[in-house]
Amino acid sequence: MPLYQADNLSHDYNHKPVLQIGQMEIPAGSITGLIGPNGSGKSTLLRLLAFVEEPRRGEIRFDGHPARPFDPRVRQVTLLPQTPYLLKRSVFQNVAYGLVIRGRRMDLQSRVWEALEMVGLAPGEFAARRWDQLSGGEAQRVALAARLALRPRVLLLDEPISSVDAASAQLIKEASLQARKQWDTTLVIASHDWLWLNEVCDDIRHLFRGHLLGSGPVTLVFGPWKPAGDGGVEKILPDGQRLKAAGRPDDPETAVAVLDPHQLTLSSRASLVSPDLSRLEGTLIQIGIEKNSDRLVATVVAGNIRFAVNIGPEDRPGLDSVVPGATVWLGYDPRQVKWY
Amino acid sequence: MDFISQGILEAFRLLLSGDSQTYSAVAATVKVSSMSMAVSLAIGIPAGFVLGYTDFPGKKQVRVTVDTMLALPTVFIGLLVYAFVSSRGPLGDLGLLFTLKGIAIGQTILALPIVTALCASAVEQMDRQLRVTLISLGADRLRLLKTSLWEVRHGILAAGLTAYGRVMTEVGISMMVGGNIKWQTRTVTTAIALETSKGQFAMGFALGLVLIMIALTVNVSVSFLRRK
Repeated sequence: MPLYQADNLSHDYNHKPVLQIGQMEIPAGSITGLIGPNGSGKSTLLRLLAFVEEPRRGEIRFDGHPARPFDPRVRQVTLLPQTPYLLKRSVFQNVAYGLVIRGRRMDLQSRVWEALEMVGLAPGEFAARRWDQLSGGEAQRVALAARLALRPRVLLLDEPISSVDAASAQLIKEASLQARKQWDTTLVIASHDWLWLNEVCDDIRHLFRGHLLGSGPVTLVFGPWKPAGDGGVEKILPDGQRLKAAGRPDDPETAVAVLDPHQLTLSSRASLVSPDLSRLEGTLIQIGIEKNSDRLVATVVAGNIRFAVNIGPEDRPGLDSVVPGATVWLGYDPRQVKWY
Repeated sequence: MDFISQGILEAFRLLLSGDSQTYSAVAATVKVSSMSMAVSLAIGIPAGFVLGYTDFPGKKQVRVTVDTMLALPTVFIGLLVYAFVSSRGPLGDLGLLFTLKGIAIGQTILALPIVTALCASAVEQMDRQLRVTLISLGADRLRLLKTSLWEVRHGILAAGLTAYGRVMTEVGISMMVGGNIKWQTRTVTTAIALETSKGQFAMGFALGLVLIMIALTVNVSVSFLRRK
């Protein structure tokens, strides 16, 4: 049974819809990544999964039971917001807060010490410090320690490394994974760091304008779109190439085309692109192995747009000599382009 | 100019010799301001929290009313309370006219909107992430309220201090409702007004010094509490 089950979830702020998710499941003990541009609904989804807010419509089942904010069951879930708030108290009191309100005073000090050590803060040096005597990265790590001290069943992280120094980012990454290793904590991480997510996550969900677009790093191409001769539309890229898409979006000025990485092909020569597909010339900038599979994930820049391509084992032989920096060809079917 | 320097010297003499008339006015002021501040804080802090934290129909109108009451002149409050507690007024039977309790009622009307409005502002400025943080750390509703109040303690302290400053220094209510009766309802400010009109500056200066000392003590205590 999945730990989370969400059905027909929707949420809005001041009557403006921000999230609309048909179905979503998160297995216990997994690491799930959430990726998407700013304003795509990642933080809202995390707040709903943290039971800090209640969805306007729909239901979230936690551990098989419908759950709401303040239910005793959801105390096993904790969220680290993007800009964490530290209570106007000492570091020790901040980290201890969750344990104190749970009445856990017996092993308070050892739990606080353990959590501070996990995030790389020497307890003897930091425990007595005031909340306003910390750098941005230290404050973020204290906030994470406050969650880790609870040994949570679910840890939700909202852009945990977006505004911290490199050393803090590394420590936050390590501490999150340690939680999973030590206590089998289920992690849900929203981040722009695709490489990190790809490295640690069992599954990555892409959110855009409040909708789940599926797994993996889809490519978004923003308007304006112009009518093409074949009844579809096209976007003229900065280098003069044309990206074609079938259908007519409702508003060609603002419409966003979504390209599934599994439906793009990568070739080392233009002549190798299937004649049924349209093609774009670009530069390969990154190639790596997809976690838990035998597929490759590549990033290609064509006309300033980064395209994500997912390559199956059957297509790998022709790419053996292709290295980052090489000129490559993307193949795509304009009819497979989806609109948002 | 001599009369000013002589007045100040005489003021120190009155204070150091424990002049009973001077200390009677100080005692009346401390007593009446404590009563009015206790009631104002007890009602104003929760009311300000509700006004700043929650949404309810008519909230804007309540806020405008409270903000308007910040500008109530003390003589008008004095007039209002006088009208209610005088023998012809609806509360005349309670015998509150020319008593410290009567002054305290007027001062509560003065201080309550200050405490409420400033607490509401402090709560409104509270970081939105505080609620998210507390709930996600497992706080229940009561704990959420208690910790939120503690987090805005500096704003609440400032609200109390501002109200206390106005209560301590007002003349209109004390004069009109208290009647400036020697040994009974004569406060520091009404005594200063009276002594000045009589040309007796020494006691006026002495009482003024006491007011400044009280203000200094309160501010030093508050700045100590702020560091907590």
